[in-house]
Amino acid sequence: MTGLRVLGVAAALAALLLPAGAPAYLLGVGLQLFMYATLAGSWNVISGFTGYTSFGHVAFFGIGAYTAAILITRLGMAWPWAALAGGAMALLLGLPVGAICLRLKGPYFAIAMLGFAESLRLLATLWTSLTKGGTGITLPPIQTLVPTYYAMLACAAAVLALNYWIATSSFGLRLLSIREDERGAEAIGINTTTHKIAAFALSTVFPGIVGGVYSQYITYIDPSSVFLALITVQTIIMTILGGAGTVLGPVLGATAISVVQEVLWARFPHVHQGLLGALIIFVILFLPGGVVEVLKERRILPRVRSI
Amino acid sequence: MEMKRGAALERRVLSAAAVVALAVLVVPFGREVAAQQKQPIRVGASLSLTGQLSRSGVEQEHGYKLWLEDVNARGGILGRPVELVLYDDKSDPATGAKLYEKLITVDKVDLLVGPYSSPVTFAVSAITEKYQVPMLATGAAARNIFERGFKYIFQVATLSEFYMIGAVEIAAKHGAKTMVAVAENTLFTQECAQGARDHAKKHGIQVLHYEEYSRGATDLAPLILKTKRLNPDLFIGCTYLPEAILLTRQMKDLDFAPKLFGFSVGVALPDYVKSLGRDAEAIFGSSQWEPGVRLPGAREFAEKFRKAFKFEPSYHAAQGYAGGLLMERAVNESKSLDKEKLRDFLAKLDTTTLYGRYQVNDKGLQIGKPAFLIQIQEGRKVIVWPDDAAEAKYVYPFPGWKK
Amino acid sequence: MLLDPALLLQTALSGILLGAVYALLAGGLNLIFGVMRIINVAHADLMMLGAYNTFWLFSLWGVNPLLGLLGGMPVLFALGWGLQRFLVSRVVRASELTSLLLTFGISIVIVNVGLYAFTGDFRSVAYLSGSIVVRGMALSKVRLVAFAVALAITVAVFLFLRWHPWGRAIRATSQHADLALACGIDVDLVRLGTFGLAAALAGAAGSLISMMYSIYPEMGAFFLLKSFAIIILGGRGSFPGAFVGALILGLIESFTALWTTATHAEAAAYVTLILMLLLKPSGLLGEEE
Repeated sequence: MTGLRVLGVAAALAALLLPAGAPAYLLGVGLQLFMYATLAGSWNVISGFTGYTSFGHVAFFGIGAYTAAILITRLGMAWPWAALAGGAMALLLGLPVGAICLRLKGPYFAIAMLGFAESLRLLATLWTSLTKGGTGITLPPIQTLVPTYYAMLACAAAVLALNYWIATSSFGLRLLSIREDERGAEAIGINTTTHKIAAFALSTVFPGIVGGVYSQYITYIDPSSVFLALITVQTIIMTILGGAGTVLGPVLGATAISVVQEVLWARFPHVHQGLLGALIIFVILFLPGGVVEVLKERRILPRVRSI
Repeated sequence: MEMKRGAALERRVLSAAAVVALAVLVVPFGREVAAQQKQPIRVGASLSLTGQLSRSGVEQEHGYKLWLEDVNARGGILGRPVELVLYDDKSDPATGAKLYEKLITVDKVDLLVGPYSSPVTFAVSAITEKYQVPMLATGAAARNIFERGFKYIFQVATLSEFYMIGAVEIAAKHGAKTMVAVAENTLFTQECAQGARDHAKKHGIQVLHYEEYSRGATDLAPLILKTKRLNPDLFIGCTYLPEAILLTRQMKDLDFAPKLFGFSVGVALPDYVKSLGRDAEAIFGSSQWEPGVRLPGAREFAEKFRKAFKFEPSYHAAQGYAGGLLMERAVNESKSLDKEKLRDFLAKLDTTTLYGRYQVNDKGLQIGKPAFLIQIQEGRKVIVWPDDAAEAKYVYPFPGWKK
Repeated sequence: MLLDPALLLQTALSGILLGAVYALLAGGLNLIFGVMRIINVAHADLMMLGAYNTFWLFSLWGVNPLLGLLGGMPVLFALGWGLQRFLVSRVVRASELTSLLLTFGISIVIVNVGLYAFTGDFRSVAYLSGSIVVRGMALSKVRLVAFAVALAITVAVFLFLRWHPWGRAIRATSQHADLALACGIDVDLVRLGTFGLAAALAGAAGSLISMMYSIYPEMGAFFLLKSFAIIILGGRGSFPGAFVGALILGLIESFTALWTTATHAEAAAYVTLILMLLLKPSGLLGEEE
């Protein structure tokens, strides 16, 4: 147990101190990892804990990216505030959408969310007066990656804390009961509607924020790059691989996939995507609980809900 | 007897040891000497080797690799052999930016050449500007890359806005008064359409209708029906290959035959003629470059490419090759690898390569190179505009759809 | 101008001709959903394989694409059977998310195998071109043929499901798998056959599409969402519903393109999807669940 604690502290320290010694390239790798850890962890809230699989989570990332980009370029807002505004906008839009779509069951919710994300992409393409449509928005270039790195790290840490809180609280327990048996949960008096909506709302905020941070980092966004279905895909793969419904799952999954991608991509550049697909099949068939589950079974990780 | 064998053995071992010792001492020393004289010059780039744009990215890679062979056959640059450090950016801008950061700060390459596609180049140029390393944007045609006042980025290809002006020019010469344009709703095609419309207005041609469609459109018939009703003299489609084919097919289906029409991307690709057969006849298209163009080194390059890869080179390969060539020239003539010297050289250079003329303005925008207009004649594509590069006279007006 | 009857009729025809091909694709998806309660994310990629099958037969050996279609269907049937037998059957009893993710993984593998084997180049089959003109209305020849073939196959499958014992077994399993099992139907075999049949239909749709559009390994993505919209529109699990839904979507797309722009037309599928999910999730012809 203490070995794990040491490992955890060491990892946290390494993450915090990386900018001090590492080349800029590693910072780029690191911040993308934290970005995905945030997305995965947020998806985990509505899909892992509550059992409502969303296939359109990139919608909130895109909302955040566009909100921040518009505020930065039109109102000259400083990017940290713009990114936070992105999160707020994602929440604002997420609430009504969640309220409506969460009435659907299982795969219908998944598809509806996919439809929502695609609709947003088209909306961004058509609403040219606001978003400049397919031409995209150009942002001022940035000089150093360090603030972006810490921003992403902060979001990843916040989402990890959120997951921990959900896993160890009674709120989280009620979400799990909705996942396992929604009707049963209703029967024992849980207001499933408010709980689902709350979970959904929580899951939208951080993707919005990292979307905002992303747009100032990448300095150019257009509808197809920030409402990219691949982003949802990667988020889902990471969480499932790591272990949906666990605290460390999304983080481990994000790390593992980022590493695996780099290795596969370097060694097998033309087939790394296909291998990723094969990996998903493998995990679904043989490791449905994800890596965390495997580690818990092997007693490497303690079998507690807080992990 | 045994004493002799033992001694012989001992001697053998000793002499073997001596040889090994010599080898260990001499060979690396010799290598060291050789290495100091022949430290390779490393040229770095990332390309879309996988992902959506891999088709073109791989072609550009072929171009870089052919240039590498040729430059080393010429003795390298400044007498040193040249090495290529190539990564795959998966057609993703963020990945491209990450990789160029790596090329500059970790791999510490000497020279940079560009990735493929405007979005990736846009992200990458921010990195090269930050580190003040000059880069030839070999695979980018969008204007927005060059609107940020950057000093270290130089465009090689023709700007997207100029792709279709040849068609507008020819139409204007023949008295066209009206035009309809359609474009895919993404950056490159939108800029291309804007350029065409602006040029049309300059020639007094009225733009009756402009409409955008999404990639992957399955039915452009309503769009064509609307256009047909307006009966324009000129019809411009700023498209990629699939929609160029789709529009052509549906135009024939609905019997829409304006006097002149063309598409930005697609007509120059072999698949256009293959898919449409005789229906492709007399249709115009835009091309950054063609193997048959009358430019120095173009034919030789095309020959080499055909031999090496067994198919016709497209302009992506040529632009890769040209990028290498221009960088080589910059280093050879400045006699140095100093970034500032190279930057200044590339900013002032005015020359013609196998790809076309290279001359940039103070923003790094390519202003010397035109986009060629091609037309399908007898199943072959021929350059018909501008006049000084034309292989054949264009056919006008469109003779109508064959039954 | 935009309410001119000739124009409206032409647009409607355009939408209907296209709809029939969508129907083949969505119909198969609906079969799988009905019988196995699985959303086959890889469905449109099976279509892509059918398209390439026809393309290669045509461009290498000059095989008429319609023959290629007929030849491709058994190949796709076998592939579908194999996928069900070795992969999908393992998750039929698991949660819907699991099967969704599994087929999703299969989809990625198929697309990348396609990219590797066929490269990302756009291809198309140069079969018929031009149109026949009927009362001033231009009907694209190739789309007419595609429509006719799609309709014929749809009718054949519909009759099969109605009258043939195996078809009825499929419908029985789709209505209530456990009860069907109790009645002596070999439900596992039905599932294998259903997946195979659905894959064959997807392959046929792909063959038709290769005659009309450019194909490339990632083409599935565009058609998948439309297929979802159609099965929701027409009613999940209902095979004739998919046909009706497809025609309706085709009409919606065409008229949206006519009255607004082609970009808006793309949104038509998504908006339809969302509206249907919110207003009548069981679809126009589906049963309430």
